[in-house]
Amino acid sequence: MRAHVAARVSVASRAAWFLCLWLVLAGATLDDVPAAATAVGAATWTSLRFLAPGSSRLSPRALGRLVLLFLYHSIVAGADVARRALDPRLPLRPGFVAYPTGLPPGPRRNVFATLTSLLPGTVPAGDQNAQIFYHCLDVERPVIAELAAEEEALVRALYND
Amino acid sequence: MSLVRDMISIAAVSAGAFFFLAGTVGLLRFPDTLTRLHALTKADNLGLGLVVLGLLPQADSLRDALKLVSIWLLGLLAGATVSQLIARAARQGGSIR
Repeated sequence: MRAHVAARVSVASRAAWFLCLWLVLAGATLDDVPAAATAVGAATWTSLRFLAPGSSRLSPRALGRLVLLFLYHSIVAGADVARRALDPRLPLRPGFVAYPTGLPPGPRRNVFATLTSLLPGTVPAGDQNAQIFYHCLDVERPVIAELAAEEEALVRALYND
Repeated sequence: MSLVRDMISIAAVSAGAFFFLAGTVGLLRFPDTLTRLHALTKADNLGLGLVVLGLLPQADSLRDALKLVSIWLLGLLAGATVSQLIARAARQGGSIR
């Protein structure tokens, strides 16, 4: 019974988020109501189908820390690529690195891979067993340690169950 | 005050344009599919973020500001997911040029 109520709450909260996104992007016009209802319904259905409501609790402080870490990494990553691209000597030592992850395959690992695709010098290129393969611009950078720190921050923010 | 706002806008949008330029230079100069992906995703996401940051002070309403931030987030999400799919295909197909 309690699980049933929790599922309804999660459907309602997701629909509310999609409605907010619609209002921000398309505005509030009476003529748009049928289109908005269809879009919100389809988005909610799709999100529930691909990402079942989880049981883990959000930690706002850890989430804030993750967002700051993400913004910092975006800046470092962009500056790093710009520096390498504009350097006349083109300093690249590209290659693959296998990162052992503690996250199970599925949504959690996918969220981690997506988040880390914006770390400086790494692009995830598939996973196998408990490893994610990263393509690196410079294999001599401490990629594994950075990924481990990112995984810890993510687990603290979203998956501390 | 509007002078300060305009200065922030000019600085941030110029910095954003610089990163778009650097990303494009990387796309042209880097040797293969996988290294080019780095150039596009990293530099362009930062460039888009800076352009959005620069336009925020010029937004007329809260909704316009939220719309700009949503565009950046959707761009980030698209870049981060599609780059993984391309990287996966490139790794499995050997080094595609």
